[in-house]
Amino acid sequence: MTKSTILSGTDLSKKYGDLEVVKGVSLAVNESEFVCLVGKSGCGKTTLLSLLSGLEKPTKGRVNLDGREITTSSEDELALFRRDNVGFIFQSFNLIPTLSAWENVALPLFPIKMTSEERRKRATELLGKMELGHRIEHLPSTLSGGEKQRVAIARALINNPKIIFADEPTGNLDSSTGEAIMGILNKLHKEEGVAILMVTHEDELAKTANRLIRMKDGEIMS
Amino acid sequence: MNLRYMAKELYYQRRRTLMSILGLSIGIALLIVLNSLSLAYRQAAQVPLKEIGADITVQRSGDVPKDLAGAVFPCSAVTIRKEEVEKIRKLPGVRGIGTGLLLWVFDPNRAWIVLGIEKENSIGPSLLRSSVTEGRFLEDGKPEAIVEQAYARQFGIKLNDTISVADDKFPVVGIIDASRAAKIAVANVYLPLKEAEDLAASSKGLQSVSPYAPGDVNLLFIKADQEKITGLASEMKTILGNKATVATPDSFLKLLGSLFALSDKFTLAASLIAIIVAVLIAFKTMAGNIAERAREIGVLKAVGWTNRNVVSQLMSESVIQCFMAGILGLLIALVASFGLSFMKVNIPIPWEMSPNPHFLPGGGDQIFKTLRLPVHVPWNLAFFAILLSIIIGGMTGGLLGRHISKIKPSEVLRHD
Repeated sequence: MTKSTILSGTDLSKKYGDLEVVKGVSLAVNESEFVCLVGKSGCGKTTLLSLLSGLEKPTKGRVNLDGREITTSSEDELALFRRDNVGFIFQSFNLIPTLSAWENVALPLFPIKMTSEERRKRATELLGKMELGHRIEHLPSTLSGGEKQRVAIARALINNPKIIFADEPTGNLDSSTGEAIMGILNKLHKEEGVAILMVTHEDELAKTANRLIRMKDGEIMS
Repeated sequence: MNLRYMAKELYYQRRRTLMSILGLSIGIALLIVLNSLSLAYRQAAQVPLKEIGADITVQRSGDVPKDLAGAVFPCSAVTIRKEEVEKIRKLPGVRGIGTGLLLWVFDPNRAWIVLGIEKENSIGPSLLRSSVTEGRFLEDGKPEAIVEQAYARQFGIKLNDTISVADDKFPVVGIIDASRAAKIAVANVYLPLKEAEDLAASSKGLQSVSPYAPGDVNLLFIKADQEKITGLASEMKTILGNKATVATPDSFLKLLGSLFALSDKFTLAASLIAIIVAVLIAFKTMAGNIAERAREIGVLKAVGWTNRNVVSQLMSESVIQCFMAGILGLLIALVASFGLSFMKVNIPIPWEMSPNPHFLPGGGDQIFKTLRLPVHVPWNLAFFAILLSIIIGGMTGGLLGRHISKIKPSEVLRHD
């Protein structure tokens, strides 16, 4: 069965002043595909991820996400689009320190009109899937690194996204915890059919992906 | 706006929240106290006149009596003609007039300060009716007198005695304690106005200095519309000439000499400074708070919060903090006002309004009306302060929120 393209970037460039960080990159990610962007630190992979996810606008080129051209959208349109279609996982978890685990998971739902019970129910279900059912009321400061990242993964899933962007999701974790997180991501892509575009500098982790894209000096090598 | 998020943010960052609330509450308290003090001085300045039921008193200075014998006018209170009184009565804003006739009577063995008063008038010295301690107040058409208690004690005058004032005999029908009453328009002996008029009209010494006809007076007590008092004062000076002494709450306020009493401008300037300080404190603490949360804002935007969502969240936090600061500021101000209300204030009575002959022993001493400063926080000031706090919160949160919401999530989240 042929899978359709969920994400495509065409001739993407990004310049900061005179410095061109991403140079005419084109790539596509299919539905339910797990793609890893690999490269050394500073090669432009995080910037490319930001361009493809709509967090940043390219200097040149186009991004099409789930059939929608996002490079021409306004900032608020992009925010709403991300809220409904995209999940993010960051290296340093980026949980809100004053909110409990379930509230962090429900964070994307806060601006949506629904009852607190509904939000809590959805967040608790996801935390249960992440084996954190016993930690729903805990603040991030009381969670381990692995637990924090699992909360972040649950947050990325709260809106049933078609694609998750993960930026070095195991970068702040020890190797065994990192492996566990990779296991969860693999399971997500295999069982839930979520497409994943992950940035990493570790070749070993990238081997678990369907496809590996190498970057060097702002360009795709292979 | 998410209330749960807001409440948790304020609770878990309670040190920051508390500092912010404390800072702003001090500014708000300062604003309330300054205005309450200013209002208290204004109210205190009204007391000497209010005690005789008037908003304005009027008299006119004249020449010093040539001979201190018989009935004379004090040089600070000479004839105000009947026609002049009628002109004043017709001025727009005048709600009522009380009259009096103040005389110094120099008998061979005694000097009297005599005040002729109307028996029934809610404006002027007839209010002394409530200060009678023995006997009764004056009655219509009877040549009788009431005597001030301290004076009666000093000279052994008793109820039902007959006193001789400028050769006229008056039975003493009452003793009055004027010490608790007003400091102006007080005398040793009070006569019906008609009797005092007769004394004045028949006194050659008095007529030679200031021609007088029955119906004329030398003290006016005027009740007027509050907002017209200043204008009326200048119109009365026009009617009576530049020797007129017109006392108003404002003229007493000037005599108080306090910075708060001196001008509205000082209170306004001090209030503005207090507001600016409050705004700066709120702005600085919240700017620091929001700057610390740049990464958090980046996360919110990354997960789908719009600029509007971010601004309304930050604004609600700011409004709640400032509202709490307003409440705390009000409480601080209430406590401070209670403390300040024990302060005593001495209101000097101008020498022209003192009935005592200044050339007699003690007559030239400055007279003061001493009272507790009536400091209180009026509800409209309290409401304004709370409203102002909320506005400061809204503006601060809104401005800072708009500024911070423009950050790009990729900029604050990229350095993982």
